[in-house]
Amino acid sequence: MFLLLGHSNDTCCQGVRAGLADHGLDARIIASPLAPPAKLTWHLDADGLTSNLYPHLPDRSIDGVLVRDTGWLDPAGWAEDDFAYMQAELRAVMLAWLNGLNCPVINRPDASQWYRSGVPLMAWRRQLRSAGLKLPEVVITSEPGEAVSFRRRLETGGDNGAVYSPLTNSSSYLLADDDAWSRLTSVQAHVPVCLTEAHGPAALACVVGDEVIWNDAPPPDAPLIEAALRRFATAAALIFVEIAIAPVREEPAVVLVEPRPRLERYNEPARTRIIAALVAALTRDAAADAKRVAS
Amino acid sequence: MILVCGGLADGVTELVCARLQDCGYPYRLLDFARFPAGYRCNVRWTERGPEGWIATDEWHLDLDDISGVYARLLGADDRAPLPGLDPADAAVLRTEADLGLMALLEDIACPVVNRIGGGLSNNSKPYQAIVIRSAGLGVPPTLVTSDPDAVRAFQAQHGDVIYKSASGVRSIVRRVGDEQLARLDRLRDGPAQFQAFVPGRNVRVHTVGTSVFATAIESEAVDYRYAHLDGLTTRLEPVELPASVNEACLRLAQACDLLFAGIDLKQTPSGEFVCFEVNPCPGFLYYERHTGQPISTALAELLRGRAH
Repeated sequence: MFLLLGHSNDTCCQGVRAGLADHGLDARIIASPLAPPAKLTWHLDADGLTSNLYPHLPDRSIDGVLVRDTGWLDPAGWAEDDFAYMQAELRAVMLAWLNGLNCPVINRPDASQWYRSGVPLMAWRRQLRSAGLKLPEVVITSEPGEAVSFRRRLETGGDNGAVYSPLTNSSSYLLADDDAWSRLTSVQAHVPVCLTEAHGPAALACVVGDEVIWNDAPPPDAPLIEAALRRFATAAALIFVEIAIAPVREEPAVVLVEPRPRLERYNEPARTRIIAALVAALTRDAAADAKRVAS
Repeated sequence: MILVCGGLADGVTELVCARLQDCGYPYRLLDFARFPAGYRCNVRWTERGPEGWIATDEWHLDLDDISGVYARLLGADDRAPLPGLDPADAAVLRTEADLGLMALLEDIACPVVNRIGGGLSNNSKPYQAIVIRSAGLGVPPTLVTSDPDAVRAFQAQHGDVIYKSASGVRSIVRRVGDEQLARLDRLRDGPAQFQAFVPGRNVRVHTVGTSVFATAIESEAVDYRYAHLDGLTTRLEPVELPASVNEACLRLAQACDLLFAGIDLKQTPSGEFVCFEVNPCPGFLYYERHTGQPISTALAELLRGRAH
């Protein structure tokens, strides 16, 4: 049995379930893994780790897990503090359970990813750079004069302009005119702002295991980029990750990293290949993928 | 130059600053109590990583001149309101500034005590237990369950059992007694974490780079940190650990990407060591004051770039 953790209408979960069914394999989509009928026993001692989440499905008979969304507690009936506490508890338990499973888990989360989901590109910069991938220039500045310099530098280079990207959310604002730059200065009176280079049209690619799947035709320098993408995915311990590549200063640069790729953004052929690659990754020999599991 | 990011109202940060002063190691304090008000910065990320500066009206610090960073966040209550803003806007802007600073600390090339990513394992104790075991340290028998029968069986097997949160929230250790057993049906709301009570002597280990400082703690309290709340006393003294335990503690800190870690051990009556958790932001002041162990000096050397 394969468990696909996510909402029942998640395109990826639906596609993988159908793909597994084509191989005669059972899969269940589960929106809230720790909610009844779950009855967790997770036991760690000197002899190792044993766990069971569902009464009629021992964990050792789970063949693979795809992690899309592990659900959220319904706040109804909870005092605010108790709700926050229970939410933290459930997240903590789910992280441990996923890491203890002795079967392929895509993506098997570590704490730094688990507790920083939805992080901006900034958080991945170090690993992307180490993998040999180019990135747009970023400036975090409290200085209106430095923001102006950044603007001039981009204009001189004939680039697409600057983007203001708050770190507290995923929105971005193209600074298209003097009025926008003037409003930026008023924000800088209170807090440094994060500016980045605007980029041209982005090409989407999904890394699934060793495979790199482009949404459209691969760019001319695809082999070099693909090798770097694989290095990044390996270093970040991501079996499944979406990356957007766009021209910045006439060179391909990474402008997005999404560890929970959205299949809706892909055309049908790419989607089919992604699903097939996920099914292949999930059905690999469990022993090859299991890591850090107490023996 | 060393950059200290914290608040002087916090005793641990105060001790770090005092030790740097004693050692004659120059430092700049980024005071979280008022940050970002009064601070200016310009940081540019290029192919080589971040470069630029941080400044106040009194000082200007080039990132290239920083030999090490010590960061210890303050709670919201310890931070001054941002002038001229309503509280909701101020909270968003402060978070924005904090995230900018964290992005810098994640990527700056010098030693950082500690980068945020490394400390997040402490938000899941059972996950951390897997990491601890992988580093070669024993862990107490641990049960995380939503099944009341499993708790009763666990207690029948181990006798004395404690419970504590699985997350980093409400992290106080308590014994399971009749009152708790009567409430086990509440596990249906979500699982809880139980551990066999491990008798023996508490040992707190601080790893600083590759240095290890172990402190033995004698106390009658289940959780010695809170002994005073129950009117109980606590006695601390330096102790030498077997080399294999020292090495396992260093492996654990490295696995968690922590240059400075507080590791809670217990030595059982039979001499074995079990590990309970790793603290990524250890309040070492308590241990250094009681034992005189030179933890802050080792930290100062690490930040100065002279650690072993």
